[in-house]
Amino acid sequence: MIELLHEWLIAPFDYGFMRRAAVASLALSLAAPPIGVFLMLRGMSLIGDAMAHAILPGVALGFLLAGFSLPAMSLGGVLSGLLVAMLAGSVSQMTGHREDSAMASFFLISLAAGVMLVSLGGSSVDLTHVLFGSILAVNTTALLLIAAISSVIVITLALIFRALVVECLDPLFLRGQGMHAGLVHGVFLGLVVLNLTAGFQTLGTLMAVGLMMLPATTARFWSKRLEGLIGIAIVLAILASAGGLLLSYHLSIPSGPAIILLAGVGYMLSALFGRHHSLLVRLGRKAAPLGAPEPH
Amino acid sequence: MTGRYASRLELQNLQLARANRTVLEHVTGSFRDGAITALVGANGAGKSTLVQGIMGMLRPVAGKVVCSVPKERRAWLPQQLALDLTFPMSVEELVMTGSWPSHGSFTGYCARHYRHGRDVMARLGISQLAHRPLGELSGGQRQRALIARTLMQEAELLLLDEPFANVDSETVDVLMRVLRDMAIKGATIIVVLHDMEQLAQLADEVVVLRQGHAHWTTPQTILHSQPEVANNARLALGLPGVGA
Repeated sequence: MIELLHEWLIAPFDYGFMRRAAVASLALSLAAPPIGVFLMLRGMSLIGDAMAHAILPGVALGFLLAGFSLPAMSLGGVLSGLLVAMLAGSVSQMTGHREDSAMASFFLISLAAGVMLVSLGGSSVDLTHVLFGSILAVNTTALLLIAAISSVIVITLALIFRALVVECLDPLFLRGQGMHAGLVHGVFLGLVVLNLTAGFQTLGTLMAVGLMMLPATTARFWSKRLEGLIGIAIVLAILASAGGLLLSYHLSIPSGPAIILLAGVGYMLSALFGRHHSLLVRLGRKAAPLGAPEPH
Repeated sequence: MTGRYASRLELQNLQLARANRTVLEHVTGSFRDGAITALVGANGAGKSTLVQGIMGMLRPVAGKVVCSVPKERRAWLPQQLALDLTFPMSVEELVMTGSWPSHGSFTGYCARHYRHGRDVMARLGISQLAHRPLGELSGGQRQRALIARTLMQEAELLLLDEPFANVDSETVDVLMRVLRDMAIKGATIIVVLHDMEQLAQLADEVVVLRQGHAHWTTPQTILHSQPEVANNARLALGLPGVGA
């Protein structure tokens, strides 16, 4: 029995590529879910998706200019992501249209431009790689980059945490204190872009959002507190990553989709059986008597 | 009006506009420290505009707002809350955010801050709600929690835009008592009011906004003497004139 468990859970990590993949996904699992939680709380769950498309042209341009170099592609991704975020922000401010419509327009343009650029200079294999990633091909340079970006995200998030909470909760209070709410918002969007750039190598530009949003939306079924949401989301992301990697190894399926699908299974199970707002809770709901201890 | 008493908030020939339409002009006057000033006027007279101008949310077209109260000691309770009630936060945590501006973003809370927070909640009678999520509060409870946040902030300038609308009478009493305590300690308080009874109970001074101008007066004037001024003020409030 123990041997079987060892063969299933531990032995795959004897391989260097599996170890690197595990460390990379662990780093991403620490950085992405807190960002996802804030995106969800601000009602911006789909912005992550939009930004994932926005980094594509930059990644493609980096790929065209420097070949398959992760630093060049990441830099391109960050730059085009920030550019699209700023363009969408200024268009919506200038025209008074809602930011989501400007964002939707720009991310569609970005997606088309990105796919066009990749197909100009590469084969369909390259396109698949950029779109869907390949976590099992993470080399040491990529690993260092991913770890560095994840660290920057976690530290920056810790620094702006209070301002971010107040900005989500009550932006007018923040403005009343003379703090520029736009600045906090901008830094936060920057973190979203950075995180997606760290994720695209392993999960692909399109699926990097999955590790950000799915654990966050799943956590909503288990906790009503901010710390709880963030903690649970991180644990879920780590479990999905480890499980997805193992599934991908044993069943010879692509690792990115395996990780995200596993997180998706977690989401659906939580929607059915979670502690809060789930189907199960809805069916068995009874009002607590007066004087009963408060649920937390 | 200046020079007769201590004042840390003064308006000098202020002109405020919204969407290129002037709402108020030539507003000159000061707000006394330690006094509660009621801001009255009919709908659209510019009460919220003036409050936003004072808070620096609206850039004056001309003139200026001179305020020597530091930013972290200014509090504003707008009429339309931007508060996200679905945000996973308890009443205690909301109250504690009041200390962030002066406390800084990076240092942690110690027992003293939590004790202060609990004292403040006790003063507003919301101790039993400390761990309740914001989304589960009634209108009155929410208003108490928000006033608790301004107490936590140790606000010295407090602007409240119709704080007693949709609030139960017990809460109104509690809030009035707390506001009076703050004023006694020297805070400058400006309250947008509609209700004459509340004005009589609470206000030390009154600013009437009418036809784009502001007039400084006293509650007694509005409530009793000088029928002419009183009439103007009452008309401005949208109430029937005295003896009309």
